[in-house]
Amino acid sequence: MYTLDEALGKKINGLCYGNRILLPFKAQLLKVVVESDIITDFSRSSKGIQVVDQKDFLDLYFLEYKRLSDSLSEYEAIKMVLVEEGKDVFDLGNHRKVALYLAEKHQVTIEETEADILFIE
Amino acid sequence: MLFFVNVAVFASETGQAGDSLAGSSEHFVLPNPFMVLPFILLLALIATGPIFYKHLWERNYHKISMLLGLVTVAYYIVFLNDVKSVEHSVIEYLSFIALLTSLFIASGSILIKVNVKAAPLTNVLFLLFGAVVSNLIGTTGASMLLIRPFIKMNRERMKPYLIIFFIFIVSNIGGALTPIGDPPLFLGFLRGVPFFWVIDNVFVIWLLGILLTIAVFFLFDISNKKKGSSEMVKAKFPVELTGAKNLIFFAIIIVSVFLDPKVLSWVPSLSPLPFGIREIIMFAVAFAAFKTADQEILKANEFDFEPIKEVAYLFIGIFLTMIPALQLIAHESRVYNHYLTQATFYWSTGTLSSFLDNAPTYLNFLSAAMGKFGLDVNKAVDVQHFVTVDDVYLRAISVGAVFFGAMTYIGNGPNFMVKSISERAGIEMPSFFTYIIKYSLPILLPIFGVTWFLFFRG
Repeated sequence: MYTLDEALGKKINGLCYGNRILLPFKAQLLKVVVESDIITDFSRSSKGIQVVDQKDFLDLYFLEYKRLSDSLSEYEAIKMVLVEEGKDVFDLGNHRKVALYLAEKHQVTIEETEADILFIE
Repeated sequence: MLFFVNVAVFASETGQAGDSLAGSSEHFVLPNPFMVLPFILLLALIATGPIFYKHLWERNYHKISMLLGLVTVAYYIVFLNDVKSVEHSVIEYLSFIALLTSLFIASGSILIKVNVKAAPLTNVLFLLFGAVVSNLIGTTGASMLLIRPFIKMNRERMKPYLIIFFIFIVSNIGGALTPIGDPPLFLGFLRGVPFFWVIDNVFVIWLLGILLTIAVFFLFDISNKKKGSSEMVKAKFPVELTGAKNLIFFAIIIVSVFLDPKVLSWVPSLSPLPFGIREIIMFAVAFAAFKTADQEILKANEFDFEPIKEVAYLFIGIFLTMIPALQLIAHESRVYNHYLTQATFYWSTGTLSSFLDNAPTYLNFLSAAMGKFGLDVNKAVDVQHFVTVDDVYLRAISVGAVFFGAMTYIGNGPNFMVKSISERAGIEMPSFFTYIIKYSLPILLPIFGVTWFLFFRG
């Protein structure tokens, strides 16, 4: 398992299969934006994203999508506000903004969102 | 509105031949009033779909819009044997979507950074600037170009009202001064309204509308206690522009707006094709702008065709299904034109422009107003006579068509696109109804009421 900083620093990619995304670190999600969907409900009854607890990675199912690659263009990101596992969720300094871009061969590139990208927490 | 008031008259007159369609010399048979139902259904679905069955709507809106549009087309061709009405709508749609697409893509390849700390006064100046610019590059161009820097400026203090007022001021009211500003005014220009007539006759009304809206915005904004990001002021320049070469594409689009055989006689007509040189240039510019765009800018703008695709599909349905509604309104307003005052024209054009496309609404009411004086909207000489002698009606129709586009998300093309870009930035925008109930009715309606009281009473 990587920390978020390791995954970003070493440019470790995530994976995407259909509506499932696997990220190589563990974190608490606070907000996810996919296209014009703004998802903040991650409870079990949520119809937005199901978070499955895995030992070494973050496993997400985007329940309203069949294939994420059908909906997102190459320039369009899935944007997330998250807090790395083990860090204080109440410390706003630990809130990280991450952008995921779908790439070829099921790869997902993970980048910290730049100031240029519009993303309001 | 007139349709609902006079539904009995409509029913009794349906099927009688011979009325002139505004914007053409063709004759057509009035449609059955029930053929307004596809349009009402489409509006109802646009209003409720994103709220109650979002993903079902997102997967199927294009099919629904096309299907309802085709129902209207089939009715006109099979039952009324009227191809011309459909053809007119398709021609207007292609002009509309060519302009929107080219401006959307050209602006998506430009990145503007405003490195100024957001505060109420800065925002007021930004919105004033946007209102002026919308007269130079159109409300669509100004909205697409300025919404991202406006969100970035305010990212630390973002609330939905900021976007709503941007829609009010930059995407709608601002563009009331020139024929480039908003499509209905451009249609008027094509019919013979002099280019500078609008600014000469509407400036005071525009100024009042803008100042009142901005004053209300200022009250909202000073109650927003969150501070703008101080990082913004550390930048070297207050404004940075990347992808400036795309401004050339912008210039080409604006110039091409005038490439119409009705404006410049040397421009060849491509009739019977439903588009002209102008539309070909606009689509070519859209293609060139995308192909030559800097990938980093596209990524920073998160460029995606979905917002323009959504507008293209929804508006083909709107343009087609609204044909019966517009024809019935045009007919009715001509039947009752002796009773129609400047106030009726202002409120009727405005109310319908809130939900229908404002360009054909403008043209139909212009036709009705000219009909009061035995003038024909299809004759440029008549239009020029009308604007000099009875210009108060044209003022009422022009202001109503442009201002009221801000009343709903579907009142004007850029409204929907600004909403979509904002949602993709993580901003939770109000629903279709919340927008109307919480913002446009309490804020805009009183302002439009003041406008009526001061300029169009009587």
